[in-house]
Amino acid sequence: MGETTTQSSPIGARVPMVDAVDKVTGAGKYADDLTLPGMLVGKILHSPHAHARIRSMDTSAAERLPGVRAVVTGAETPVKYGILPVGHDETIFCVDKVRYIGDNVAAVAAESEAIAEHALRLIRVDYEVLPAYFDPEQSMQAETNLIHDDRPHNIEREYHHHFGNVEEGFAQADYIRQDRFDCPEVTHAALEPHSTLARYDAEDGTLTVWSSTQVPYYLKKTLAATLQMPEEKVRVIKPLVGGGFGGKSEVIPLELAAAVLARKAGAPVKITYTREEVFLANRGRPRQIVELKTGVTRQGKLTAVEARIIQDGGAYCGYGVVTILYSGQLLNAMYDIPNVKFDGYRVLTNKPACGAMRGHGTVNTRFAFEQQLNRIASVLGLDPVEIRRRNLLHPPCVTLNNLRVLSYGYPECIDRVVERSGWKEKYGKLPYGKGIGFAGSHYVSGAANPIIRSAMPQSTVNLSVDRQGGVTIFTGASEIGQGSDTVQVQVVAAELGLPLEQVRIVAADTARTPVDLGSYSSRVTFMAGNAAIAAARDAKRRMLQAVARAYGVAEEDLLMEGGRVLGRNGCPLSLTLAEAARLAAGPAGVLTARGSYNTPEESRGGTFKGAGVGPSPAYSYSAQAVEVTVDPETGRVTVDRIVVAHDCGKAINPMNVEGQVIGSVWMGLGQALQEVVDYENGRIKNAGLLEYRTASTLESPPVETILVESNDPEGPFGAKEAGEGSLAATIPALTHAIYDAVGVWIDTLPVTPERILRALQEKQQAEWKSPGTGARM
Amino acid sequence: MSLPSFEVVRPRTLEGALEELERHGPDAQMIAGGTDLVPSLKQGLFSPRVLVDLKGVRELDFIRFDREAGLELGALTTITRLAQSPVVAEYFPVLQAAAKTVASPLLRNMGTLGGNLCLDTRCLYYNQSAFWRESLGYCLKKEGTVCHVAPGSSVCWAVFSGDTAPALMTLAATVRLASPRGEREIPLRELYVNDGWVRLTKRHDEILTAVRIPLSSAGWKGTYKKLRIRNSIDYPLAGVAVAMRWASDGVCQDVRIALTAVNPAPRLVEAAARLKGKRYDPSLVDEVAHEAIRTAKPLRTSASTMEYRRHMVRVFVRRALNEVWANGPHC
Ligand SMILES: Cc1cc2nc3c(=O)[nH]c(=O)nc-3n(C[C@H](O)[C@H](O)[C@H](O)COP(=O)(O)OP(=O)(O)OC[C@H]3O[C@@H](n4cnc5c(N)ncnc54)[C@H](O)[C@@H]3O)c2cc1C
Repeated sequence: MGETTTQSSPIGARVPMVDAVDKVTGAGKYADDLTLPGMLVGKILHSPHAHARIRSMDTSAAERLPGVRAVVTGAETPVKYGILPVGHDETIFCVDKVRYIGDNVAAVAAESEAIAEHALRLIRVDYEVLPAYFDPEQSMQAETNLIHDDRPHNIEREYHHHFGNVEEGFAQADYIRQDRFDCPEVTHAALEPHSTLARYDAEDGTLTVWSSTQVPYYLKKTLAATLQMPEEKVRVIKPLVGGGFGGKSEVIPLELAAAVLARKAGAPVKITYTREEVFLANRGRPRQIVELKTGVTRQGKLTAVEARIIQDGGAYCGYGVVTILYSGQLLNAMYDIPNVKFDGYRVLTNKPACGAMRGHGTVNTRFAFEQQLNRIASVLGLDPVEIRRRNLLHPPCVTLNNLRVLSYGYPECIDRVVERSGWKEKYGKLPYGKGIGFAGSHYVSGAANPIIRSAMPQSTVNLSVDRQGGVTIFTGASEIGQGSDTVQVQVVAAELGLPLEQVRIVAADTARTPVDLGSYSSRVTFMAGNAAIAAARDAKRRMLQAVARAYGVAEEDLLMEGGRVLGRNGCPLSLTLAEAARLAAGPAGVLTARGSYNTPEESRGGTFKGAGVGPSPAYSYSAQAVEVTVDPETGRVTVDRIVVAHDCGKAINPMNVEGQVIGSVWMGLGQALQEVVDYENGRIKNAGLLEYRTASTLESPPVETILVESNDPEGPFGAKEAGEGSLAATIPALTHAIYDAVGVWIDTLPVTPERILRALQEKQQAEWKSPGTGARM
Repeated sequence: MSLPSFEVVRPRTLEGALEELERHGPDAQMIAGGTDLVPSLKQGLFSPRVLVDLKGVRELDFIRFDREAGLELGALTTITRLAQSPVVAEYFPVLQAAAKTVASPLLRNMGTLGGNLCLDTRCLYYNQSAFWRESLGYCLKKEGTVCHVAPGSSVCWAVFSGDTAPALMTLAATVRLASPRGEREIPLRELYVNDGWVRLTKRHDEILTAVRIPLSSAGWKGTYKKLRIRNSIDYPLAGVAVAMRWASDGVCQDVRIALTAVNPAPRLVEAAARLKGKRYDPSLVDEVAHEAIRTAKPLRTSASTMEYRRHMVRVFVRRALNEVWANGPHC
């Protein structure tokens, strides 16, 4: 759909976000800023046990407390739900069992927070404590006390994929390497804690929910299902959202709890999580153990890859089935691997449920793969960049596991990073304690297959042009800070040849905007962007047709430019947009247009079990070089510089793309060096932003971003995803740089100073035992 | 998490503050900047009926340098003012170095010196929400009987995690404590008890009014090394303060080394005495650094491992000594 645009086109312009001013001045409203008359405060009672049967519960004392207006428990809300149709294993409140410390047992709506908290302390629950499982490898052995009765061995799902023939592949290899990587759980740490305001109107039986969500559409469906209401009676409105990163991409317990309380209390109820509750609601990136085996020829050509992956999913399925599939499926579509085997296990444990987090499912596998590739290069004496160049894909192509790749800017990403970072002058040549490392990563531009399979388009955008020429976009797409609204305004303005100021946007209100599946899997620019373009073209066509009809000219002799309809080929016509819109709308109406997007059949992947996850209409690519200083005496790593090239297809708004890429790199940096959700017997020891340590500004190095534009043939103006694909590469590039600096490989995250010191010690001991072999390769 | 309900009183004078403390007895608690206390109140670690807000007692907000008395710092001096004071920078560099590392810029603007010295001890099993502590069954420091970092221990191992105390100890600082019964002045090191639960010798109704550094400590070279994961915000996982005075020939005339965040109290390192009367000698520095580990007994009270924190005490002592001494006049 790459169409040429006029000079003043907003495509490629560095424009500030359309909601930036409201955010900066504080005029913008987030869910917790909202209030309604008579609003109550909701609080949730959480389980103190990791695994226990609820024998009985007594809420009478809480109900009697003055100021308490409603108490709800699992008995009243038994309908099961879950973001995936195959994973409906949660209820709003636990019915028979609690499955993690923090599980949701009951909730109270009261006239103040203090009363609500007091009421929670009055609820008596009699628990029968059960043995609990905290380690996924142990949990997989479980025979009794299963976390969910219908999941033998506490295995949520397992997949066994085999493409090509790895036995033959390994037979062709000159060198085979096997390593085990362990990446602990990390979480989103969005600055805005989750918050939901719910109002139930008893007279007409309607429910309105304002919530910090990435997925208003799924929230609406789940509210209707769990509250046993008709879907059309439920309205979900997404106010400003202060960061999601996947943590708001499925239905979160407070959203349902607020609604149930509001209905029972007959008054609006707001629940805002404490930071600790945000950690308990979790849905972060699961701990992942990767046993990886890779074969290569002497020249570094990959012959086979075999991965055994275990994910510690926590107590509920959530997005888990998708996460485990991504971890295997996206071994592909980056390099040309002739034989691939994947054994994946999504395992249940008695911990808060994991879910989707930026780079969903791909990050830890990518870390393992890129690290192993760098280790292989070092053993074979190959340049780490060169080994990548020898294994590139040759698009357009379809991978072994049916992923269709059309645009592929990875080779250019590699070249540009090599050039900008000074790779050739630096790698292996810096003084001891200084190092540079290299790695790549990729990500989907939206999942080709929706979560709930249906023929409905993935995104629909409505557009109105009023009689004064004002354009309004109605979109279900969810702005969560990533630039969703801005990008849609840009593409519509570009299509209609209007200044940005003339285009308004109404977004993410299920009563007013058409269905969009939400902000996850980096789908919005690609899918809602294409739908917005289609809607703008529909509007344009209607206007040109109306003008042509009214003036008796041929439609081909008209064009739209600079906010006017102009004649060409000798036709002298010149109308304003308002005039054209009035002609198209008729004497009294408003011109309305519609566009939608659905993924092409060819992009939707294969038919084997699990084939639905991984396919995307387009993939983004990233290459990175990270430079570090390692203090070999303290083990401390200072990241000095990161050069990143991201193939985003086309940067519709380069400023925004750069922000997304830098943000991804920064999250990768945190995961690499310091972030970890620290559990002890299922209890999170660092459920706060003081002890869960995202990088502060002082640890954040300069990040130089290079935008590579491969112009995807199906992307809106050629664009692909920009918000996730650069996260994963940061981690292996950083560990590679540590190797280059001090000669040790760290396969367990995060790379703490302790781990580096231990590795240095082991290396020294090994060198004493066999002198002469410890030289840096 | 809501704050528990309490009354706040705002005396304007020290006398008024003492009266309030006397009137409310054990129900009262002092608050200065509140940066330590308020999060703890939200977690239900304290439940005072009355908060005596010291911020209005302006007479406790001063920095005075006197040729006879030395440096006097009012308890309400903010950490930012301390870090930016030219007198502190010129004559007491170890104190400036430590003050600069406290928390983050915003917290330094709010936090006071008095609060920093009277900081509650910290532990992963203690600085948690009421829900969290209840689910674990509480701990020795608060409402429980078991120390989760050292089961069987009869003392609490929560760690003193202030940054300015070790620096002030290397400068032989004293603190003035005022109570309805009168005033007393004690060496800072005697303010602390090496038990995370008892923590201070200060009585409940005593206000720390001022810190005094003797003139004899002015001009000592000094530095502060702090272990943390992030270079801002984080409390110390270990902290080493070193102050030294050497003669023009480089002979060490006097030296003090103090550790923080590796014990329930900030502590002076005895082995520092071995340096007195000696010229700079790297192996002697190594020896003292090694000995310093004996003074550090960190348990699993925070994110990092005990081994690493002890290792870092040794590295920091050596680096700090090298920094203040090796670059002395002898070279
Ligand atoms: C995120 C975070 C990070 C932090 N990091 C650090 C750090 O790196 N290093 C560090 O040292 N501190 C740190 N702190 C703790 C705190 O901010 C500082 O120690 C600050 O100086 C405390 O002073 P305050 O006035 O705010 O104390 P308050 O909270 O007001 O008081 C602390 C305690 O001292 C008592 N108190 C206060 N003044 C007096 C007085 N004059 N006489 C007697 N008792 C008194 C109070 O009753 C209370 O028990 C951190 C705090 C937070 C929230």
